[in-house]
Amino acid sequence: MSTRSITPDLSAFEVPMDVWSEPYWHTAAEHRLVLPRCGACNTFRWPAGPFCPECRSQEVEWVAPGQGRIYSFTILPVAGPDKDAPPQVRIPALVTFEGAPGVRLVSALIDAAPEEVKIDALVEMDWLPAANATVPVFRLQNPPPV
Amino acid sequence: MKNQASIVGVGATPYYFRGTSAPQTVFELIDHAVLAAVADAGLKLSDIDGLAFFAGGFDPSMIMQQIGLDNLTFSHCVSGYGSGMAGMLDLAAMGVDSGRAKNIVCIGASQNVGKRYGQALGMLGLTPDGVFHAIAGLGGPGQAMALMVRRHMHRYGTRREAFGEIVMASRIAASTREGAIRRKPITLDDYMASPMLADPLCRLDFCLETDGALAFVVSSDERAADMPHPPVHITGAAHVGVRDWGRAFFWLNQSEDTFTTAGAGAVAKRLYELTGVGPQDIDVAMIYDHFSPMVLMQLEDYGFCGAGEGGPFVESGAIRLDGSLPINPHGGHLSEGYIVGMTHVREAVEQMRGTATNQIKGAKRALVTGGPAPVLMSGAILSNER
Ligand SMILES: [Zn+2]
Repeated sequence: MSTRSITPDLSAFEVPMDVWSEPYWHTAAEHRLVLPRCGACNTFRWPAGPFCPECRSQEVEWVAPGQGRIYSFTILPVAGPDKDAPPQVRIPALVTFEGAPGVRLVSALIDAAPEEVKIDALVEMDWLPAANATVPVFRLQNPPPV
Repeated sequence: MKNQASIVGVGATPYYFRGTSAPQTVFELIDHAVLAAVADAGLKLSDIDGLAFFAGGFDPSMIMQQIGLDNLTFSHCVSGYGSGMAGMLDLAAMGVDSGRAKNIVCIGASQNVGKRYGQALGMLGLTPDGVFHAIAGLGGPGQAMALMVRRHMHRYGTRREAFGEIVMASRIAASTREGAIRRKPITLDDYMASPMLADPLCRLDFCLETDGALAFVVSSDERAADMPHPPVHITGAAHVGVRDWGRAFFWLNQSEDTFTTAGAGAVAKRLYELTGVGPQDIDVAMIYDHFSPMVLMQLEDYGFCGAGEGGPFVESGAIRLDGSLPINPHGGHLSEGYIVGMTHVREAVEQMRGTATNQIKGAKRALVTGGPAPVLMSGAILSNER
């Protein structure tokens, strides 16, 4: 049996926020993913910021982006819990969403067998506790759709 | 809009494996490089009246105090880190062309004492925009660029063998280069056995981290004619930002057609327009090789082959010393040393003077690229012909 990707321990991690990213984290606390879309021209942007770079509007709507899909990923070796433990891997994945064209979210893909991780694989969201927030991570959609 | 300025002096410290230049400070390294460059140009320190930098630069008042540099009428810095490096040559050329200073010293240095450039993304997790890199586990530029590299492989069928060829070619070049840090040639088997650090990037795809300083004296073509070495003309240098590349691996939201590049297409276009030179006119290319796949992607951006054709181009042997486009005959960042692109300018000058360790016979024009990183990006063409 192969080693599955780690679930990072973020319990002591302080998520820095600003006035433009706070709505994202408020929604994340309810285990819901939303991404910012311009209230004037409907262009998604990421990360959240003070202006729509397409039309300069400051109006934002936070929108559930729909099905996630792996756009790219890497596999990083990480030290095991002790010297004799087998090596572990962490898998940062860059994910696109069906309902949010033009933007991508990068986070950890957890509990995945590295050989099963492929570009275009579908993912679902999971949520981990951090010191001051709930953070989004990805899981391979399981079981795969028929 | 061709420049009327030339590189007339070069100075460098030895290249030290990261952290081993202590107890010298980074300013002591810079001082050594500046003094050597000024001597190489046949000038006195009192002839120097300008400084040019990139990546935030170094405090000019400290340099003046330590080496006894009396008067400056010019001291400026271009934006971009390694990305902006070649733009520093444009800045120096502007300085002498406009008469703001007569002899400008370009300075670049790195010292990995108490910090490491390879972990430069660590601080990013402390910002609202960068927190996702920290959650994902992307701690260094190579880890984030691995995402771009994998997408290039997925889109174009690029093979790891091509990255291995870039490393092998680099190591062959460095094997004869005195002062290079990694000089032992490797085989494709060695490459394939190298441990994965950020799949698909293995340890051998990552460049060195090096301590050292380099300096280049830039003067007008007119004054350059009277100096000891044949002048190396700054035919042109471009310093360009486009939003779709933007914050590069800090962002990862580029359009598909930009995500699978090294972000240098707009620089190449402007550089060729400014100089009237095209890829077919380049005799030797110093390509910023912080990560070997980024060499292949820059070769595409600069038009040496088409988009997506970098793999087969490299695997054909084209980039070897005897190939159609020799690159990094000094061994580059992968094998000689990594001082944020500065060593590439030195090699271009040596190639144009005809004094390089692995001299490309008859080379008249050299390309130097800044690193694929957040804008502004840069590139320069140097020549021994005006
Ligand atoms: Zn808008």
